[in-house]
Amino acid sequence: MSNALATSFAHLHVASAYSTHYGVTLPEVLAEQAAAQGANFLAVTDRDGLYGAVKHVRACVAVGIRPGLGAELAVHDEEYRPLGRVVVLAHGNTEGRGYAALCRAVSSAHDGGAGQRSALTPGSTGPSISRSRLADLAGLSSLTVLLGPDSDVGLAIARRDNSDAAARLARWQRALPAQAVVLEIVCHLAESGAVGSVTPATRMLALAENAGLPAVLSNAVRYGTPDEAVTADLADAARFLLPLAELETPQTNGQAWLKPAGAMRQVARMVVDAGLHDDGALERLLRDTEQLADRCTLDPVLDIGLGRPRMPEARIIGVTGDPVTELWRRARSGIADLYSASGSRAVEAAHAQLAHEMKTVEHLGFASYFLTVSRVADIIRGMGIRIQARGSGVGSVLNYALRTSSVEPIGNGLLWERFLSPQRQTLPDIDIDVESARRHDIYREVFRAFGSDRVSLMSMTNAYRGRGAVRDAGLALGLPDAQINVIAKQMWRFNARDFRRALEEKPELEALAAEVRESQQLDLLVDLTAKLDRLPRHISVHPCGVILSDASLLDRTPVQASGMGLPMSQYDKHDMDPMGLIKLDILGVRMQSAMAHAVEEHHRLTGESIDLDRVPLDDAKTFELIRSTRTLGIFQIESPGQMELVGKLQPEVFNDLTVEISLFRPGPMKNNMPLKYLQARHGEVAPDYIHPRFEPILRETNGVVIFHEQVMRLFDELTGCGLGKADVFRRHLDKPEQLPEIEQYVRERALARGFSVAVIDQVWTVLAGFGSFGFAKAHGAAFALPTYQSAWLKTHHPAAFLAGLLTHDPGMWPKDLIVAEARVLGVPVLPLDVQSSALDYRVEDLADGSQGIRLALPELVGSTEAERERIARHQPFGSLQDFRDRVHPRRRTFEALARVGALDTFIGYDRARRHELLAHIQSLRGTAVVIRADQLAFEVELPVPRYSGDRAGAITSLELRGRTQTDLELLDLNLAVSTHQMKRFHALFKELGVTPASELGNLPGGTEVLLAGVRRATNTPPMRGGRRVVFISLDDGTGPVSNVVFFHDAQERVGGQVFQTNYMLVRGRTRRSGARGVSVTGENLWNLFDVARQVKERHAVEHAAAEEVASAAAYAAELAAHPAQFSSHAGGTLHQLNAAQSA
Amino acid sequence: MPQIIDAPVDVELSADGDPRAFIWNRFEHTVIGQPQAVFKRTRWWENEGTPTRIDTELWRLDASRGGEEQHRYDLRRGIDGSWTLALDWG
Repeated sequence: MSNALATSFAHLHVASAYSTHYGVTLPEVLAEQAAAQGANFLAVTDRDGLYGAVKHVRACVAVGIRPGLGAELAVHDEEYRPLGRVVVLAHGNTEGRGYAALCRAVSSAHDGGAGQRSALTPGSTGPSISRSRLADLAGLSSLTVLLGPDSDVGLAIARRDNSDAAARLARWQRALPAQAVVLEIVCHLAESGAVGSVTPATRMLALAENAGLPAVLSNAVRYGTPDEAVTADLADAARFLLPLAELETPQTNGQAWLKPAGAMRQVARMVVDAGLHDDGALERLLRDTEQLADRCTLDPVLDIGLGRPRMPEARIIGVTGDPVTELWRRARSGIADLYSASGSRAVEAAHAQLAHEMKTVEHLGFASYFLTVSRVADIIRGMGIRIQARGSGVGSVLNYALRTSSVEPIGNGLLWERFLSPQRQTLPDIDIDVESARRHDIYREVFRAFGSDRVSLMSMTNAYRGRGAVRDAGLALGLPDAQINVIAKQMWRFNARDFRRALEEKPELEALAAEVRESQQLDLLVDLTAKLDRLPRHISVHPCGVILSDASLLDRTPVQASGMGLPMSQYDKHDMDPMGLIKLDILGVRMQSAMAHAVEEHHRLTGESIDLDRVPLDDAKTFELIRSTRTLGIFQIESPGQMELVGKLQPEVFNDLTVEISLFRPGPMKNNMPLKYLQARHGEVAPDYIHPRFEPILRETNGVVIFHEQVMRLFDELTGCGLGKADVFRRHLDKPEQLPEIEQYVRERALARGFSVAVIDQVWTVLAGFGSFGFAKAHGAAFALPTYQSAWLKTHHPAAFLAGLLTHDPGMWPKDLIVAEARVLGVPVLPLDVQSSALDYRVEDLADGSQGIRLALPELVGSTEAERERIARHQPFGSLQDFRDRVHPRRRTFEALARVGALDTFIGYDRARRHELLAHIQSLRGTAVVIRADQLAFEVELPVPRYSGDRAGAITSLELRGRTQTDLELLDLNLAVSTHQMKRFHALFKELGVTPASELGNLPGGTEVLLAGVRRATNTPPMRGGRRVVFISLDDGTGPVSNVVFFHDAQERVGGQVFQTNYMLVRGRTRRSGARGVSVTGENLWNLFDVARQVKERHAVEHAAAEEVASAAAYAAELAAHPAQFSSHAGGTLHQLNAAQSA
Repeated sequence: MPQIIDAPVDVELSADGDPRAFIWNRFEHTVIGQPQAVFKRTRWWENEGTPTRIDTELWRLDASRGGEEQHRYDLRRGIDGSWTLALDWG
């Protein structure tokens, strides 16, 4: 034993980096370090939770040491008085009882009485567990509670109040089961008198001896190595939101690291030596530590249930008998419904495929999983919400038959094995896209249907990125906010850990780099920012993950309240699979909401119902629109790059959309796959199928390997390995170390199967080059469906579709541009009007038989939800007074409504009188009369005075003077509705010779052009060769957008403006790409306002000169008329005249 | 009053890692009893450069030269492992 003690120390109290703003080392790094130091045990005890627990256990398994788990929790007594912080450790070898108690303890800490507690002890608002609850959970020898320096006992010791410490310890012993209480000795070798010195540690040890309790040694670890103490200082500053210089309790020194056995033994000796202790105190302390570690060693499988999936119980998913039988029954009936229209051969094929899939499902025991997912899909559909499955699950006939997915897999060439096979080690993953606006309703309904003890939301760990890192580093150093803001704004498009290199390389950072060279503090800031980068920062609810399990869920994951009130697991997506937790991605997709809105609007106006899922997929007009590249607003294909690719590809059938979407991905782009495909598609090169046996696999993409499914089929054709095994090979293609083994296998088998060496060489080059790139066709097809559906809506119901886009804002473009697109499509966007504007964008039938879209109330900047709801509820209004009394708007809202014209109804839509209206509203005094919702309008008028004569000019509201309607709209709506905001520059553009975006397409390649407009999008897509390229989309109000690309040399010339200037004039050259596409290579850019000012100044100079010329000419004329009279001045004046003319 | 020495010294460590003796002015000083290590934090953000440690390591120990009367000393260990005799407390 003593020999082992010399080389190994068991750390029982360790915060990982998942203790955000506290610990700074990742669990994987800690486990590796512990193993390297010769330890055979390591516990992670994160603050307030088990945030790093699963990663810790897996890391321990990987390095071959024993894991322990615990949590550092605040505790309070029955009267909500704080009892400090303790470490709660789970006991192992208890068939999971210890781990379950730990999970429940953490959940309780996050759940109970926070409001009551904070009322009694102001300032302590964090999670806290009651001692009695902790005592209940510690029963049956499930938990050990470590009372250390931060516990009430330790704090009493620190106050040198030994009798209080003893009394408090006695209360703990009375409250908790025997043997659950252990004292924790921590000593960071701080100066005498400071926290963490030997004195309190040695007194704590004496207290344990007196009470006859075991004591263990820990180092209250916050980081792996001493040099990480700097990062822990930063974490403290961020936690207390104070500069380091102002921290009241900075860490006492930098000794809270994962010390090896020798160093811990040294600490133990100093602690024992500093006081009077029993004989053998040193060895006993180390032995008790080791024994507690033994007790807290968790078996990853038996205690934590690692890798054991748990599905909801059969009765919860509405199954009474055997889930497998039930699944068969439902799937068969689904096939009968869905395939019968396609003929008996299709039905037969579907049944055969179903039998194939069910074999795997039965083998893996996943029947309940499929029933669970289809139950959730049923719940969502039952709520009348649009739903669309996405991901590899779309490749399954079973999912299609259960109506979980709506894409038919066989005809689309999708593969089940891409989703699930006996060779796949992970749980299947089905993603469901729903209307974003209804996502929370769905969550609540799923919780209700399954029960909150079986469902939890998933969390996600947000890590530090550039801006957050530089802000917190700046805060720690006490730099002024303004200075940090300026720097933070420049922290993008590179990793903060590469901050120093970015300063050297990026032209737009040159000014900052110069400052850094001058300032010691900024130099330090650069290093500190890099230290924070990628550290976990906080957890929040994952945007789509819902965990579904059986009633044991809360024994296996701790939960805390999410922002929306529903419980959220402390585990993130990386923890799901190892923990056997079934995660369903229910992702809110705004386009689904936008399309649902369009369908609703159409129904409201016409009474017709559109079933988007039954729209034929071969509508000629829809493809015509797509081919025209006027794809703004269409799902997936509206970005400048997509517009360009769509223009080149010219899609004709649904499968072309699947291909297009799959090509526009970083991997395929980097591998130049779009170009290869386009050349073959347009007949510039003959498709190369390598071998006739590959033709069926590669025909749909003209010989270019694009889809994962094609790679799998190639492997299968070459080796006969089966598709499941083929998917394993595919996933290993990005692991260089696996390639030789795969290659050897492929070569041997392919030769035996009759392929020549030349063919094998060629196909292997393609496969090896494919790597992990490419896209699952299942994903592509699942994306292509909403792409097609939204294009169909834009083609046939543009007003309703644009109303949906404006209401739910699904795409990449600002609303301003959608409004511009509406204008171009002949659908006017109607101004804000309190009589007709609703809470969302509504389509209105106009007098001329066309349709317009009414601006929605939420666009009014600064208005409250309550005000907007009252407007919508009480429409229409009889008079201004009626409006005031029913809506009782705040003054600010009232004036904004008047300014922007939303109250023009009360002045007979006479824009000229708006200043009277505004002045009248500004002069109103007193409070509005609050009127019940069902009260009829008062017949009392509150007329807007009509001024005439002398006073007409006197009351003009200053707020309206000199401002156009566009100015007012931009001010109060952030959106120019009446005319395009660029219209005011159009005269200038004409004078400068700027090419309108709408005419750019008519120019040949290589033409020098001037472009101008407001920036609508900036993209820095991944490029072959690695040099950064900046795409800017400019809107000048004439067409959709013109796209300008700045290459590296131009970026150096332009500097930071390429990201910072929003209104710009650009000089460049056109570059043609495909039949419809044209973009401009930017050479230089200027701020449009500067240009406008310079032109104005030049005009002024010219104007003055012209006046001078005119007056000089008059003078000259006079001179000519009276030569004698002016002869003495003549020479000078002529000179003046000449000068003026030459100017 | 402690006397500031600030001289580099060679230190001999025990198997446990504690200083057992140090050589100052060519004389070996033998440590008596259990020496105590103390780590004092620095206000590193006020200095130039990014530190690799936020504290300095001091060892307070009693030692005597041959049979002479024992003194109390502060030894400082640098990040590179070198030792400095900081103070002689007398």
